[in-house]
Amino acid sequence: MMRTAAHRALSLLAIVAAVTAVVASCRPHETAAPAGGTAATASVAPAGGELHIYIWSAYLPDPVVEEFRRRTGIEVTVDVYDSNEALLAKLQSGVADYDLVVPSDYMLRILGHEGLLQPLDKTRIATLGNLDPRFLDKDFDRGNRYSVPYLWGTTGLGYDKKKLGAVDSWTALFDARHKGRILMLDDVREVFGVALRTMGRSINERDPKVLAQAAELLKKQKALVATYDSGDFANVLAAGDVDVAHGYNGQLAAVVAADPQRLAYVVPKEGGTIWMDSTAIPTKAHNVDNALRFISYVQEPEVNAKIVDGVHYASANVPARKLISRAILNDKAIYPDDATIAHCELLEDLGDATTVLDRLWTEVKSQ
Amino acid sequence: MSRAARLQRTLVAAHAWAVYLFLYAPILVLVLYSFNRSPRSAVWTGFTLDWYRRLIANRALLRAVENSLIVALATTAITTVAGTLVALALARFRFRGKGATQAALYLPVIVPEVVIGAALVTFFGVAHLRLSLATVIIAHVAFCLSYVALVVRARLAGFDRALEEAAADLGAGAGEVFRRVTLPLIAPGILAGALLVFTVSLDDYVVTSFVAGVGSTTLPLQIYSMLKVGVTPEVNAVSTLLLLLTVVLIAVAQRLQRPPSTLEESR
Amino acid sequence: MSARPRPRRRGLAAYLLALPSWAILGGGFGVPLLLMLIVSFARRSTYGGLQPIDDLWSYVTSGGFLANYARSLEPIYLQIYWRSLWLALLTTAACLLVSYPIAYYVAVLAPRRWKTTLLALVVIPFWTSFLIRTYAWMLILRSEGLLNVALLRLGLIDAPLHLLYGNLAVAIGLVYGELPFMILPLYASLEKLDRSLLEAGADLGAGEVSTFFRVTVPLTMPGIAAGIALVFIPSLGQFVVSDLLGGARTVLVGNLIQNQFALARNQPFGAAVAFELTAVVLLLLWAYASYARRRASEALL
Repeated sequence: MMRTAAHRALSLLAIVAAVTAVVASCRPHETAAPAGGTAATASVAPAGGELHIYIWSAYLPDPVVEEFRRRTGIEVTVDVYDSNEALLAKLQSGVADYDLVVPSDYMLRILGHEGLLQPLDKTRIATLGNLDPRFLDKDFDRGNRYSVPYLWGTTGLGYDKKKLGAVDSWTALFDARHKGRILMLDDVREVFGVALRTMGRSINERDPKVLAQAAELLKKQKALVATYDSGDFANVLAAGDVDVAHGYNGQLAAVVAADPQRLAYVVPKEGGTIWMDSTAIPTKAHNVDNALRFISYVQEPEVNAKIVDGVHYASANVPARKLISRAILNDKAIYPDDATIAHCELLEDLGDATTVLDRLWTEVKSQ
Repeated sequence: MSRAARLQRTLVAAHAWAVYLFLYAPILVLVLYSFNRSPRSAVWTGFTLDWYRRLIANRALLRAVENSLIVALATTAITTVAGTLVALALARFRFRGKGATQAALYLPVIVPEVVIGAALVTFFGVAHLRLSLATVIIAHVAFCLSYVALVVRARLAGFDRALEEAAADLGAGAGEVFRRVTLPLIAPGILAGALLVFTVSLDDYVVTSFVAGVGSTTLPLQIYSMLKVGVTPEVNAVSTLLLLLTVVLIAVAQRLQRPPSTLEESR
Repeated sequence: MSARPRPRRRGLAAYLLALPSWAILGGGFGVPLLLMLIVSFARRSTYGGLQPIDDLWSYVTSGGFLANYARSLEPIYLQIYWRSLWLALLTTAACLLVSYPIAYYVAVLAPRRWKTTLLALVVIPFWTSFLIRTYAWMLILRSEGLLNVALLRLGLIDAPLHLLYGNLAVAIGLVYGELPFMILPLYASLEKLDRSLLEAGADLGAGEVSTFFRVTVPLTMPGIAAGIALVFIPSLGQFVVSDLLGGARTVLVGNLIQNQFALARNQPFGAAVAFELTAVVLLLLWAYASYARRRASEALL
């Protein structure tokens, strides 16, 4: 008895060690890449050096990274984050060794303000001229001091057109006829943005009185909402659990394309959020040259087209448009027309009003 | 055994198996949907092995699995040793700082993970410790230690010292008593604690998201980051494979056990 | 029926045994937490960092440093704490009821050779991703999900049950997630149960039920206490299950704290709420410990 108990414990530990070994050996063979830290490995140091990218998940197709590696000999590691705030926390700690990051609009302004990004040496980015001027020189980064636009998208409505007919307004989310069949994003800025737009106000409203009014609308709406979900919203719509879903265009475009007879996506006439993610280099980056090379690389037309085709989000690159697949280029959900874009607003940080908003959000959710 | 007793035993066994069914219901669904043709996990559209094919080529996901296993193993090893030792100290001795130690052991269980994570990344920043797999392991050890300590402590409570005293009376030295009497008797507690820590570490997301650095993305980080873009069945596939591997190895371990002697069987 | 309380020895050995844990907890946990405590006394700056304090002396003496703690006691937040408390209590109670019989089965009734395997089988489901497991529950519980499809086919119901985004779904998800944390400590305690004590009880005429409540349960109190601690305490701070399975329609303490570290970028307030939670729980534990000590039963904590 005594021996087998300890015996079993040891064998269990051995099992798990074996599992690790099996999995590790299953990994596709790659040249030595540091498992942690920036210490160069004892074996052959990569000819071109290293590049540590920190980016949203599924935002960079593997073949694109592979091609870069082949061309330059630079060893690239890609780590992922799921929120701008997580990125901020990492950069603020000062001990994260990333060379290239891809923050969203409002976060870029904050990162710039906090001195966490370094100015880009534009002379090293040959392909800068490929960028659509409409996406340059934005408020959050005047003169594109720190960033080069990467991908962009909109927040809109996905809906069941067979049940609802044609929908063109945010008010569909407040319609009592759809009680229990509505989904909202679980994001305070996006949800308040919707309410503010139905009131004809900017999504970047800071006046506490106006925000309180928006909160009242949302409190009344809550009884109609089945769920607040920022992750699975497209699936929930596709599965038929809700008839109208507030969501980001990328995922919604995909489910609409899979079921075009039944589903549709629209950016409502009141206008909504347009968001932009841009490539930037942290102040403490070690491999600045390689990062600049990569920024230039992803703006090459063929590469950019491959990214758009792989990720299903629109890019700000003009010559790439000739190379992007027709299906995506013609998809109004991914590439909306100019009128729609003009109607949308970029999110801005609200400064001190953030606390007011957070308090109101708590009230709405506590209903 | 009386009929009533036998009935009660059957009911307990039935309840146990019902719980096992409950435990594995979502797992079966998870495995099933790893073969789903549609990338939208909600609707079943047909059988395919595509996701497994894509998984083999998905180096990011496989790297994440490897990182997770390394961290979980290291964490389990360190915390099992340290946790068992401190549990022994708490159970057997009076010493200064005993109350504080007990309270301190509860802290990692009490404090919300997001605060632990933020605190650790701030600490690493102040200490100029680069974020890496090592910092992930440090973080995991710090908040997982309590689980082992508390479980082993529960095992030690009410421990009858008579066996140990008997062995000592028979001439065994302190080390031998520990190795051949104490340790085997508390082994189930240690095992339970180790299993718990391994589980917690393998699936931890919040703390890890704060302290992971270059090249140290773990599986939960990889999976949660897919949320904004849509979680594909590749994740189901990797979970299924891991499960399969573990179950096979456990079955092998079960087979390899020595048949118990009659003395052990009667316990 | 517990072992006689033994005189505890003093000794150098104790310090040596505890040393590794002190190092780990002190360095890896204590210091970071201290930093966070300081943060909780600070104020949020416009961009979400910490506001630099010009006059430290007046900041402290005026009580300004307690602003976050004061805010956390507003009625809307008290409501949130109460809600979280209730949910945690219910989860723990349900978990205990579900876990005890299976822990008993694996520890006492199952054949020796299978114990470790059965125990491992309890935890293996939790070696998959929490997110995927919860998504799987959503697949099972949604209106066109597997459960409803099965029940409709079997003719047990006429219309689909709306389980998802409701309280039952949350309850299922919460209990499910906490099972190993209750089963394993219970197992650790039950496993060492001396069968002869149970037989003695039976010989003296006690029925199975009576034996259970008067012999088994008291003897396994340490395991029950550990299990309750490991389930109740984290349950106070949980929020992901209630968000995913409950439709994110409510705010729990976990949501509140999480928000402060995420979009609200107000770490001082978040830290303050978290430390209050910590203080309350420590107080509860201390109260329980003194109560147990006064009853001269074995210290379980």
